[in-house]
Amino acid sequence: MIWTATNEPTGTGHGSGGAVATIGRGVKIVPELREGLGLTLFFASLGAAGRVSVPILIHQAIDRGLRRNDVRPNTVVVLGAIGMLIVLVGAVGQRTAVARLGYRSEDALYALRVKLFDHIHRLSLADHVDERRGALVSRVTSDIETLTMFFSWGAIAWLLDGVVIILVAAVMLSYDWMLALIVFVVVAPLIVVLKRVQNHLVRTYDSVRSDTASLYGQVGEMVTAAEMLRAYGATDELAGRVKQSARRRTKSQVRAGTIGALLFPSGELFGALAVSAVVLVGVWRGPGSGLTAGSIVGFVFLTYRFLEPIAELTEVLDQTQTAVAGFRRILGVLDTPIGPPEPDSPAALPIGPLPIDLRNVTYAYRPRPGADDSSDPALRDVSLTIPSGQRVAIVGATGSGKSTMALLIARFADPATGAVLLGGIDARQVANADIRSRLLLVPQAPFLFDGTILSNLEFARPGSSYADVEQAIDDVGLTDWLDALPDGLSTQVGERGEQISAGERQLVALIRAALAAPDILILDEATSAVDPLTEVRSARALERLSAGRTTIAIAHRLSTAARAERVIVMDQARLVEDGTHEDLLAANGRYAELYDAWLNATAT
Amino acid sequence: MSSTESALQAGSWRKTVHLLRSLIGKHPADFFTAVFGAAMFALLTVASTVALDYVVDDVIGPRFDDGRVADATLWTGVALISGIAVLRASAVVVRRTFAGRAQFKTARSLNADVVDRFAAQPVTWHQRQNTGELVARAGVDVDASIEVMAPLPFASSTILLVLVAATRMLMVDVPLGLIGVAAFPALIVSNVVFQHKVERHYDQAQAELGRLSSAVHESFDGVMVVKVFGAERRETERLATIAGSLRATRRKAIRVRSMFDAFVDTLPTVVNILLLVVGAYRIEAGAMTVGALTSFIYLFTLLSLPLRLIGFALSSLPVSRAGHTRIETLLAEPIEPDPAGAIDVAPHGVGLAAHSVSFAYEPGRPILDDVSFSIPAGRTVALVGATGSGKSTLLSVLAGLLGPDTGAVQRSSGACSLVFQEALLLASSIADNVSLGGRHSDAEINAALSRSAAADFVNAMPGGATASLGERGVSLSGGQRQRVALARALVRRPSVLLLDDTTSALDASTEAEVLASLRDTLTEATVVIVASRPSTIGLADEVMYLASGRIVAYGLHEDLAATLPDYAELVSAYEVDRGTA
Repeated sequence: MIWTATNEPTGTGHGSGGAVATIGRGVKIVPELREGLGLTLFFASLGAAGRVSVPILIHQAIDRGLRRNDVRPNTVVVLGAIGMLIVLVGAVGQRTAVARLGYRSEDALYALRVKLFDHIHRLSLADHVDERRGALVSRVTSDIETLTMFFSWGAIAWLLDGVVIILVAAVMLSYDWMLALIVFVVVAPLIVVLKRVQNHLVRTYDSVRSDTASLYGQVGEMVTAAEMLRAYGATDELAGRVKQSARRRTKSQVRAGTIGALLFPSGELFGALAVSAVVLVGVWRGPGSGLTAGSIVGFVFLTYRFLEPIAELTEVLDQTQTAVAGFRRILGVLDTPIGPPEPDSPAALPIGPLPIDLRNVTYAYRPRPGADDSSDPALRDVSLTIPSGQRVAIVGATGSGKSTMALLIARFADPATGAVLLGGIDARQVANADIRSRLLLVPQAPFLFDGTILSNLEFARPGSSYADVEQAIDDVGLTDWLDALPDGLSTQVGERGEQISAGERQLVALIRAALAAPDILILDEATSAVDPLTEVRSARALERLSAGRTTIAIAHRLSTAARAERVIVMDQARLVEDGTHEDLLAANGRYAELYDAWLNATAT
Repeated sequence: MSSTESALQAGSWRKTVHLLRSLIGKHPADFFTAVFGAAMFALLTVASTVALDYVVDDVIGPRFDDGRVADATLWTGVALISGIAVLRASAVVVRRTFAGRAQFKTARSLNADVVDRFAAQPVTWHQRQNTGELVARAGVDVDASIEVMAPLPFASSTILLVLVAATRMLMVDVPLGLIGVAAFPALIVSNVVFQHKVERHYDQAQAELGRLSSAVHESFDGVMVVKVFGAERRETERLATIAGSLRATRRKAIRVRSMFDAFVDTLPTVVNILLLVVGAYRIEAGAMTVGALTSFIYLFTLLSLPLRLIGFALSSLPVSRAGHTRIETLLAEPIEPDPAGAIDVAPHGVGLAAHSVSFAYEPGRPILDDVSFSIPAGRTVALVGATGSGKSTLLSVLAGLLGPDTGAVQRSSGACSLVFQEALLLASSIADNVSLGGRHSDAEINAALSRSAAADFVNAMPGGATASLGERGVSLSGGQRQRVALARALVRRPSVLLLDDTTSALDASTEAEVLASLRDTLTEATVVIVASRPSTIGLADEVMYLASGRIVAYGLHEDLAATLPDYAELVSAYEVDRGTA
């Protein structure tokens, strides 16, 4: 495959920027997040008022209606009615705030997801190497899900609890500033402890996550490689390794569980200490201080109300950090520049023949992460003109630069220096859609989407009629092959097309190419053998497909080169020979060498 | 149907008991310690309300009504509140620590059971399974099974809490106690009912998320095709439609959940106000004190979390049951016999022999049909046949991975190595991939790597043979992988070596190098090599030609090419290729 060059895994977004900066940038990218936040805060305040009402109600009831030897139930009924009203309004406020926040965040995350889909599809192929696929899928699934989780729990907690904490603190201060200060002083160390332990807990959760991933990965290996492991008597060895992994994970899980167990009741514990302090100081100061029995009991309830949201917030702190980390990774992907950039004012490709010009093209892949030397150029100062309609084969050993050249001609990457011209226009000045409609690259192992053969063909040209499809099949001479399939065009190809053979996938790709009807066709020849009958079919189809088109074949079989009008020989990133098969053989240079080696290998 | 609903359905009770028994049975000591902690928590929760009762009636009341309270009484009240809080916190620590231990250790045990079963089942069993499903059995199904264990101790102790709290309320005052007792079922039922309403939407959202994930995976997987056809925008639109329906479902879930949250948060408060009003009349009647009323109100504020947990436990039950049932179904399958044991030792001078071997995956559709041959020891035989002729199946039968339906296989004593068409490497070091846990010295491993023409690229890697493969490690090309896989076979010094088109991903010159090395080093071994290139056939002493599961001919390549038109045509696919050159 051409595209397996390992590149820097851009956009994993480590470090860089604190949580606040990340959120700020996120809001800029998805402005939906901020819309209507003021009104949501107002409703959240109503909800918070509902929560604060009970302690105040108890205070008033005790002082006005439940004094010893002076019980007035009617007063309590009136107070109860007022309290009920506030509680119900509060409930509606809370409900509205939660719903508004939820709706907004769903809209925002939808917008973010679509933005990511678009951006990722436009990333350069170098960013789409196999090793990064899982990471990219994670960005639009699990990373967005961490944000979903955050917005449906964490953000609600921050919003409601934040308002409750402020409101309760204000009420406590208005009751008695001294008692309020005592509560704050007792609770302050809790926040320090929580933050410390929380950091520790987050790290432990991280190791649980990575242990789980490696456990699942090893189980996957054991199952996928079941046959190979048995062939080498290594099944028990692998089973042992999986269990070892499971033990490691259990250890991390138990550690995380224990830390969480210690953390969880700390809020209540500090609450009880604060209540004890309130009772102690309140009773010691006594009736002369302006305090009443009701205000002390009310204060006790306020203290519990004050601690509740603090404990809840520590529970969502971990979630918040996870969400911020996910957000940061998402922003990292959005920061990765898209593949060859679109020109600001594109020039149109000329109608008619499209000659290809390479002018002093040099190109190097991005170095591997961790490698200290910058990688050697994959193409060095290559100049070449391919007139319209010519059939060219590019040959050379693995790593000689032939695939890179195809990549640049198809404008899946831009040269570092020099230029690629299509129809005399610098490819960088042409809109991507324009190039795609005129030039087609058929990769070595064509990919099919899960569906029917027909749906895969239609992918090449949406809206094409059945007649168009049949014409394309006929053009490449594969009608008899398709007719022989029990389900014909409705044949299900399965995931990645794996329900049909590799050879059949190639045939589908060739019909697909015929339907797209490009002016320039670039073929990356398959290296692995398919069964001979299919091979013959595929060769015939190719022959017909390339008729009348500029065709560039990246040839692994030198028989293809021998049939081409012109052979380009690449060696160590340079174009070393250019001519017909016969001329090059006669020249007795690099091509003759490659051809000899190939003849020997296929000799019987 | 939502999961909570199904949890409550009749008939599921017995299954639930079975599930809980087998989960708890794995590590009962941890689990019951957690339950003990939870029970202590329940009792201490009621005790903390009694302490508040005492503080209001005996400490705060006298001080503000009579002007004074004894220091001893004040300190007793404060000590009660703090002391009970410390005990209650300890109970929480015990409950959560041991619930975690029970849960995670049970996961480990279940995983080990499943993995042992994978190891015990032969290849024929594995071939019938979907690998993704198997991975799920040992992974997500295990994690789903134990989900119910986390809230279980707390949820079960909540029942105790409700009973003790109700008893205390009734003992203090019957009319007020009755309001409280009536409120409990209302709170529990509203929790459960709402839980199930919300879940329906969450279940649907989960399914849609799965759909989105696989669509995204496919779209990124096929990015090359998307790009060559300039279909980026179309693909984005297709994915956006799926994401849009996920958003619609999530919005519905949010609507229900926001009501649910507001309702279950408000209900205890409403009960509290009722208690306050009715309590005022009871206090006027002299039936109870302000302290007792305060402690009831406090009790209801403490209860909302435990009551919610009953909802959580009920909703995780069906998840656990589904996961556990899938695991049990897997474990209930009988262990199939291992065909490797059925291979006989070949008589002296014979390297490998088959006697009337037949094999079929489905009855009536034989893959191998009455295959018989005998290869003298030390001989190299090319196995030639069209796609689907049964070549790979024959090698698997010869290697003892598949058992023949009829007939027998004989093999000379010593190791037998099969190198597969697709080189499967594990995400560990290259050396480990060669030794696979076997006892082979570094020197042996390096020798095997150089015999498979892998030494050059392996040595060029940072760390050489200790370089690790996999996601974060180095990536190898198809041809490099095949050569490492070949080294894995060679390091075992096999007396029988089976190669399944092993050199298909190598370029011509590397293939020649590998084949030359094999020719030099495999002088003793009996080799069967599936060949599709003339160069590979050229390595063999003789050719075995397989068509539709039958051996059509066994002899010299030249003879077969001369007498069998089918064979000649098959092999000449390459000759034709060359002929035009």
